[in-house]
Amino acid sequence: MANQTLAHSFRESPILRPSGLIVLAILTATVVILTATGSRITLSLLAQATIISIMALSVGFLARTADLISFGHAAPFGLGAYGTALVFQHGIPAEVGIWLVLVAVFALFFVIGLVVGKLNGIAFSMLTLALGQFFFVAVSKLRAITAGADGMTVSLPRSLFGLPSRTFQTPDGMFIIAAVILAALVILIYLFEASRTGRLAIGVRENEERVLFLGYRTKILKAAVFATSATIAGVSGVLFALYQGFVSPEIMHWSFSGNALIMAILGGSLAVWGPVAGALVFFFLREWLSDLTEHWLAVLGVILITVTVAWPGGMTGLAKAMRTRISGRERNGGGK
Amino acid sequence: MSFLFRCENIGKTYGGVVALKDVSLNLESGQVHGLIGPNGAGKSTFIDVVSGRTPGLGRVFFEDREITGISPSAMRRAGISRSFQRTSIFPALTVRDQIELANHGTGGGNTGELVEMLGLGAVLDTEAEEISYGQQRLVDLALALVGDPRVLLLDEPAAGLSVQESAVLSGHLEEIAERWNVAVLLVEHDMDVIFRVCKVLTVLASGRFLVQGTSADIRNNPVVIEAYFGSTA
Amino acid sequence: MIINALNGLVYGSLLFILASGLVLVYGLRRVVNFAHGAFYMLGAYIGYSVAIHAGFIPGIIAAAAVLIAVGVALDLVVFRKLADRDPLVTVLVTFGVLLVLEDFVRTVWGTGNYAIDPPALLSGVVQIAGAPFPIYRLFIVFASALMAGGMVIWLRYSRSGLWVRAASHSPVVAAMCGVRTNVLGPLVVGLGAAFAGIAGIVAAPFLSLNPSMGAEILVMSFVVSVVGGLGSFGGAFISAMILGQIQAFGVVYLPEIAALLPFLLMALVLVVRPQGILGNKV
Repeated sequence: MANQTLAHSFRESPILRPSGLIVLAILTATVVILTATGSRITLSLLAQATIISIMALSVGFLARTADLISFGHAAPFGLGAYGTALVFQHGIPAEVGIWLVLVAVFALFFVIGLVVGKLNGIAFSMLTLALGQFFFVAVSKLRAITAGADGMTVSLPRSLFGLPSRTFQTPDGMFIIAAVILAALVILIYLFEASRTGRLAIGVRENEERVLFLGYRTKILKAAVFATSATIAGVSGVLFALYQGFVSPEIMHWSFSGNALIMAILGGSLAVWGPVAGALVFFFLREWLSDLTEHWLAVLGVILITVTVAWPGGMTGLAKAMRTRISGRERNGGGK
Repeated sequence: MSFLFRCENIGKTYGGVVALKDVSLNLESGQVHGLIGPNGAGKSTFIDVVSGRTPGLGRVFFEDREITGISPSAMRRAGISRSFQRTSIFPALTVRDQIELANHGTGGGNTGELVEMLGLGAVLDTEAEEISYGQQRLVDLALALVGDPRVLLLDEPAAGLSVQESAVLSGHLEEIAERWNVAVLLVEHDMDVIFRVCKVLTVLASGRFLVQGTSADIRNNPVVIEAYFGSTA
Repeated sequence: MIINALNGLVYGSLLFILASGLVLVYGLRRVVNFAHGAFYMLGAYIGYSVAIHAGFIPGIIAAAAVLIAVGVALDLVVFRKLADRDPLVTVLVTFGVLLVLEDFVRTVWGTGNYAIDPPALLSGVVQIAGAPFPIYRLFIVFASALMAGGMVIWLRYSRSGLWVRAASHSPVVAAMCGVRTNVLGPLVVGLGAAFAGIAGIVAAPFLSLNPSMGAEILVMSFVVSVVGGLGSFGGAFISAMILGQIQAFGVVYLPEIAALLPFLLMALVLVVRPQGILGNKV
């Protein structure tokens, strides 16, 4: 009896439930409507915000899966962006080159993950900040390859992945592309979390010692989670380079890592989509604030402090609290 | 006869303090071997050293193969499993998820039987942080028992359980050892549990081997009584 | 050669003073202050503004005084309130403080570069091994040694110093022995912040002032702390000195990659000894 219950352990990911599909449909409709009706400026903002929310997703994924706070994710983002620029500069076919860039980012951060995986929370955070700065300095100094502070122009060929290159550089085109990729990544993360490996990762996050005593080797898994997160940031960087057509060392500065982190925290890590929501809010908030005041940096700092102290779950925490309240009310109503 | 699991001259020093010195014992399949002694005798340290949780002295053999110093992960894969005195489980995972994790993703082997035996069936789909402390202790035990281990090192499995729960647990331990032919080392404070399930007992005091014998011998051994209750007894 | 080594010593001393502020706070509060670099920057700017009107010494005093106040406030308002939360929450809050302070500096002083001359008494050069060497740089080493020495004496010979050492060794045991972390907190965090502020104004004539100076030095002091071992003064000293030398010789002999060398050292140390040179095993 109990044996059967256990053997029958197929678990549905929330994304596969009808509610998940409904959310997906609503989001698709929103994207379509926005694309059709939004002004060029709105769409341009949306395209940028969607690209950056992939970056926030990567930081949030690491926080959620491994309980590690990265202050250096501008590095894989920037490597993805610079990699893309280099692929086009050297005339490597993009359909091969961009995959190579992402594989290289994964491999590099896998190796780094093997080393930094031994560190606990705070040391890890300090180290990622230093690591990010290392790549920032490296890109600034290696003028022969990256043109240093001058930055590099990303010159796209006429067509890319079967689409005219212009699609990647117009707001509506990029908005749709980035939204599709974002959705695909969110779905993949949901599926990962429902998988055995995903649960093992949660086990490592919660109690690594016990996982070791259950006969698993955790080093590889931790490095792989770190590298996966870095690769998602790399995807964001690739899209950024394609859309902007220009990369410079600023995108690897620690302040960008910090912003991505703020987005992830604003959104919270109680749900996979948290950082994405956080990024969108952050982006439009910043846009609004920078019109309103020059001191948006300070305002962001205050928001960060407020959210971490008073509202630790971020927006996902709020959503969860609301859901609990609603379902609680339903249950009470049904009881009567 | 040859023993399944042998520990020779296990020792441990913290700074300059000797916590454990030259303790040897052997485990036999199908038998529960009790390791007892007053607080600070070195019982938990013994399990920690033998299971590779902390580095220490001495040698460990499994099926006549030396396994001294292999990683905890390799030890479990070889069939040697342990539980923890301070509950060591995964609060955010459901009971089912973590038992499957412990069993490397399968619900096969002794899993179903185990869940039934420990009475965890009703809480299978509850997150471990939501269940009672007694049940959490049982989950800790289940994580060690699942996956057909050959050797079990149990560090105070009855700690925090009620008298009834301990009695039930004793029954299970006997059953596990005999039916599954597992060699069990049981560190336990609850003497009712110890005398009920252990055939052989090793007594430690102040990190040193004191005496070894059958339950009946130990129960009436004046040396043991003195170690436990002091010379005033 | 000797001049290079001396320059390394100057930079290493500054790094050590900064890192010891981090170590001090980490020891007591188990928190790494990401606003530490911003404290350094704030000290430099405040010291600069006072120094150009009232002289260098008042500048140092003003920097120290303001930063003590900031540090005490940080402990009372943030560290104490969040003591039982995940240390990472506190780290994030200090990151928020960093953003606020950066904006403050940009607003008050703008984004331009400032330079300040050393006080007249300390300007000029001395001949060392046949080469000229600015007296002011020797002063930096002297001032750092003074601060480090004062700190060591305080830690070794005073009751509060003993408490701080006990708390760094084991917060739980220290608390059980009656060490009151919350009483020590403002003192230690204020002192750590003052160290950063003084380092900022003392370094100002040697480096230059700009709004990104805080971030650069923060990264370097993190490298020092991680290489030395979190929470270890001895480790911070050794790694600060090594990094100072690497920096000084790197600039001369490997100018292309000098800026990368500290990170390579860090990577090397972490591979061989993840807990740092003198760090406790995690």
